[in-house]
Amino acid sequence: MRPATSGEPAAGARPGNPGRRRLLVRASVGLLVLLAVLPALPGVGDATLFTLTLMLTSVAVAVNWNLTGGFTGYVDFGHAVWFGIGAYTTAILMSLQTNGPQIGWSAPPAIILGAVVAGVLAAAIGRATMRLKGPYFSIALLGTFVAVREIVRVSGGITGGGVGLTLPPYLNRPLFYYIELALVAGLVALTWWLRGTRFGAALVAIREDEVGAETRGINTTRLKVTVFSFAGFSTGLFGGLWAYQNTFVDPDIAFVEVRTIDAVMGTMLGGLGTVAGPVVGTVGLFWLREFLWTHLLDYHLIAQGVLLIVIVLFLPRGLVGIIDPRGTSVTALWRRWVGRSARPDEPERDP
Amino acid sequence: MTALLDARGVVKRFGGLTAVDGVDIGVGAGEMVGLIGPNGSGKTTLFDCLSRVSSLDAGSVRFDGVDISRHRPHQVARLGLARTFQLIRVYRELTVSENMELSIQWARVGPASLFGRTDPATRRRAESLLEFLLLSRLRDERAGALSGGQRRLLEIGMALMSEPKLLLLDEATSGVNPTLVAEIADRLREVNANGVAILLVEHNVGFVAELCHRVVVLDRGAKLAEGTPGQVMEDPAVIEAYFGAEGE
Repeated sequence: MRPATSGEPAAGARPGNPGRRRLLVRASVGLLVLLAVLPALPGVGDATLFTLTLMLTSVAVAVNWNLTGGFTGYVDFGHAVWFGIGAYTTAILMSLQTNGPQIGWSAPPAIILGAVVAGVLAAAIGRATMRLKGPYFSIALLGTFVAVREIVRVSGGITGGGVGLTLPPYLNRPLFYYIELALVAGLVALTWWLRGTRFGAALVAIREDEVGAETRGINTTRLKVTVFSFAGFSTGLFGGLWAYQNTFVDPDIAFVEVRTIDAVMGTMLGGLGTVAGPVVGTVGLFWLREFLWTHLLDYHLIAQGVLLIVIVLFLPRGLVGIIDPRGTSVTALWRRWVGRSARPDEPERDP
Repeated sequence: MTALLDARGVVKRFGGLTAVDGVDIGVGAGEMVGLIGPNGSGKTTLFDCLSRVSSLDAGSVRFDGVDISRHRPHQVARLGLARTFQLIRVYRELTVSENMELSIQWARVGPASLFGRTDPATRRRAESLLEFLLLSRLRDERAGALSGGQRRLLEIGMALMSEPKLLLLDEATSGVNPTLVAEIADRLREVNANGVAILLVEHNVGFVAELCHRVVVLDRGAKLAEGTPGQVMEDPAVIEAYFGAEGE
């Protein structure tokens, strides 16, 4: 019987090169070893470790954002709210200052409970908002972010209000660095494992065609709320760690829009919906920003904007997308976001 | 014949427009039924109501003895009702194999299986269906890179992956190379012979007449006629609906 084809597959077909993926895994392991021995190298002091710890925090937030934005296709413009909730819960539980509740917990249970609170609230907010599509969902989450920040600002009796809360100082930079390195490595490994499971594949199915996924038996609501809640939990965990390292929180530094923007840009630069993309992109963005800040102080924001345009135009699948096709492109995400999916009989125009 | 699908008085309105107006339709176990009608007669909207992609404004739908009038689409699919769409829905950025392996019967997926990888039995079933649908050599291609006809076949394969009791096929031959239409007909006969009931929406009336045991005709959202293909094709009301009244 003649094969049921009407021509060769279009360009853009998945190359499926396991050799390239192996290379990526080896590079990741090499990088991890390098980062693990870094504190022992001469000239690496507390200031460098603090900077690297902040970079790891940004990587973690981007990896978590990618779970909903990259894998599931729900573009969350308010993701930093989970970071702030984790940070504030930790601060409230640990702070002993007179304008706070003076609970005085130690760091580990406070940070863990902060993550749990962020995860539970993410489940509740996700349940309510994930029935919205495209820009409506994104704006709902942006609204949540702004609303929570203002609630924290006006709830002075618990949160310290605009003055903020001070945490007991513990400035062991190498310890924080290793904790975050281990957590980020674990988070990336978990994402890699998850992507290979039915759960991970179902998330991608939701991104590709939610109605189709639902009519094929996938309980899309349960899956997307689960992953959204996990992302909230994980970002809340890093928020708690950040608060403890920073020894101080106030609404304007715990709830910062730029944290979400960085996660989105880092993931886009690295590769949406890929495992390594948010890591590579966020690290690249972090050092690029340092470079621009140092050399182009007056123009660094313009330069970042130009970078975003360059990504969309020339690297829609990001840096990792060049060798790992298992993600999606910025253009495809945009089409889905504005509800203009290509008609089924239209040829695909993504690279 | 026992009714596998039994929909009574289904009504669906969009604002002031009644797209489906009190339609009764049933499909027996192992039966192949055609649903035809001019453009805009409400065929796809009725499919959406039956698979619960759309809510019902009135009426009820029972499937395999269960009232599914308020079920969510994934619950309906888990009972064994699979469907395809007029505008093909496949996961474009996943490979053909991944599309198939994701379209399993999710009622059997427990927590361990949800967080597990695709098992060898699922892979074998996907491979065998791809062979059956002549798509084997495209297994590693992204679904978005396939032609319209290939995607149509893939979507049918995805529906079959869930081992359905009833398959709702919306325009299974639309956009398909004419040489493939006969092959699709052969495949559907084989699927039906294996006990899967089929409800088929088609513009290609000849295709329906060739395949179906019974045909239901819709016009302007209401049921116009029902009977064997021969009876329906000779029904003056059907001829008028399709070709207009004599002398017009």
